[in-house]
Amino acid sequence: MTLLVQAIWGGVLFGAVYGLMALGLTLVWGAVRFLNLAHGAIFTVGAYAAYWVVSSLNLPILIALPFGVLVAAAFSYLMHLALIRPVLGKPGFDNSTLIATVGISISVSAAAILIFNPEYKVVPAVLPGYFVISGVQITNQGLLVIATSLALFLLVYLFLTYTRQGMAVRAVSQQMEAASLMSIPVERTYGMVIAISGALAGLAGVLLSPFFFLNPNSGFNPMIQALIVTIFGGLGSIRGALVAGFVLGIFESFVEVFYGVAWAQPGVFVLIILMLILRPNGLFGIGEVRRL
Amino acid sequence: MLEVKGLSAGYAGSEVLHGIDLVVNEHEGVIVLGPNGHGKSTLLRAITGLLRPTAGQVFFNGKEITRWRPDVIAAAGVVHIPQGDLLFPEMTVTENLLMGAFHRPTWGERKERLDRVYELWPWLKDRGGQLTRTLSGGERRMLALGRGLMSKAEILLIDEPSLGLTPLTTQQIYASIQKVKESGIALLLADENANHVAGLADRVYLLETGSLVREGPADTLLKDQALLESYLG
Repeated sequence: MTLLVQAIWGGVLFGAVYGLMALGLTLVWGAVRFLNLAHGAIFTVGAYAAYWVVSSLNLPILIALPFGVLVAAAFSYLMHLALIRPVLGKPGFDNSTLIATVGISISVSAAAILIFNPEYKVVPAVLPGYFVISGVQITNQGLLVIATSLALFLLVYLFLTYTRQGMAVRAVSQQMEAASLMSIPVERTYGMVIAISGALAGLAGVLLSPFFFLNPNSGFNPMIQALIVTIFGGLGSIRGALVAGFVLGIFESFVEVFYGVAWAQPGVFVLIILMLILRPNGLFGIGEVRRL
Repeated sequence: MLEVKGLSAGYAGSEVLHGIDLVVNEHEGVIVLGPNGHGKSTLLRAITGLLRPTAGQVFFNGKEITRWRPDVIAAAGVVHIPQGDLLFPEMTVTENLLMGAFHRPTWGERKERLDRVYELWPWLKDRGGQLTRTLSGGERRMLALGRGLMSKAEILLIDEPSLGLTPLTTQQIYASIQKVKESGIALLLADENANHVAGLADRVYLLETGSLVREGPADTLLKDQALLESYLG
């Protein structure tokens, strides 16, 4: 019983974490068609911003959290202004953005070492404390992460489906030229999506750092996981990111609990390889033709 | 209302339009007639900012709009219904229409504007939830026109409304455009067929290899069969 509860709790928590990271990544892919390999770096930026507020300004994490989210969104938007917007719609867009975002990732970890130091930092939990269900420790922060992740999926879905700006995001992603003829500012819409995605990464950074500690490369693993989830769910699909996050999270957790940690990652990759053989565009893949 | 002066434009170094001068007055229906590949689409694209002109100027209500972004030009009231419709394929019929009213001041009136479009084409209301990519060619054309009409267009630029349609659908489309014109919106229509435009046109320009070679009132120019045949074949 303990093992089962442990597997389920771990799985749901992993799933929520993966989903939260994948949401921002898939949103940018679906709307702008660029693979943001700086997503992990933005996660790190948000986490360090929150850490700085807590450690240097001695303010509570509840103030540091929105600050971290804002800094991450602003960072993301600046990245859009400096590196994405100049190459929008130009030949070589894919290559330039891919290389630029890898460059940003490297710069961010180097900057984190210079500004802070390479040591592990502790970011406090927003909701400290835990309770125990049949021997398994359920942390309040974990519950918060699960609830936040689900709420954000719902919010992003509602935003894209029902709001004027959200519909414009889909319009721009499906037919850029027609969108501009409908008086939709294409570049600003892209900027907005990238900033929202950055805010999501920053939020993930602040909320997840209490689990993993914070270091200059903190964002790397979550981003790789998010990339796997996004590919599994189908690049660009919001629903796919949600389902894939939980499927992979729960699968990994069960393998880990019942067959040992050593099998967890290989198990996930076997699952993904099988899935990609069966459905090359991912679970809910929108492929090359369809968009958001 | 819309004035084009000495407009030149092209693609990657090869000039397509050579010094176009053109005027559309308020409530006027102006047709640019010309065979395929002579620059009709390029002209419309250069006016609405999709293509950056290499020379010349475009004025709308006295203001120069030559190097404005397409979305700003559209917001000002110059609305371009492009060739091939360019609908949003994964959005529903209603969502496509709503995007026509994206501009903030128009968005507040989207319900009334939807009703006006539904008066022209009631099926758009009944099938509002359908994904656009599943529509037929004629339906797509009507939706593209409807989406353009959702905006506060003072002038509509329509690129070949009959392209790829059956004769019956073509008739319906031109009848709808006629109604649009009667509602007071000015029209600049690019077409390669003189037969459909008779009722719509006040004035006609003939476009040949990127230059306007003739201009005149529709009732005389469109009756000159010899002239039309020599230009349009």
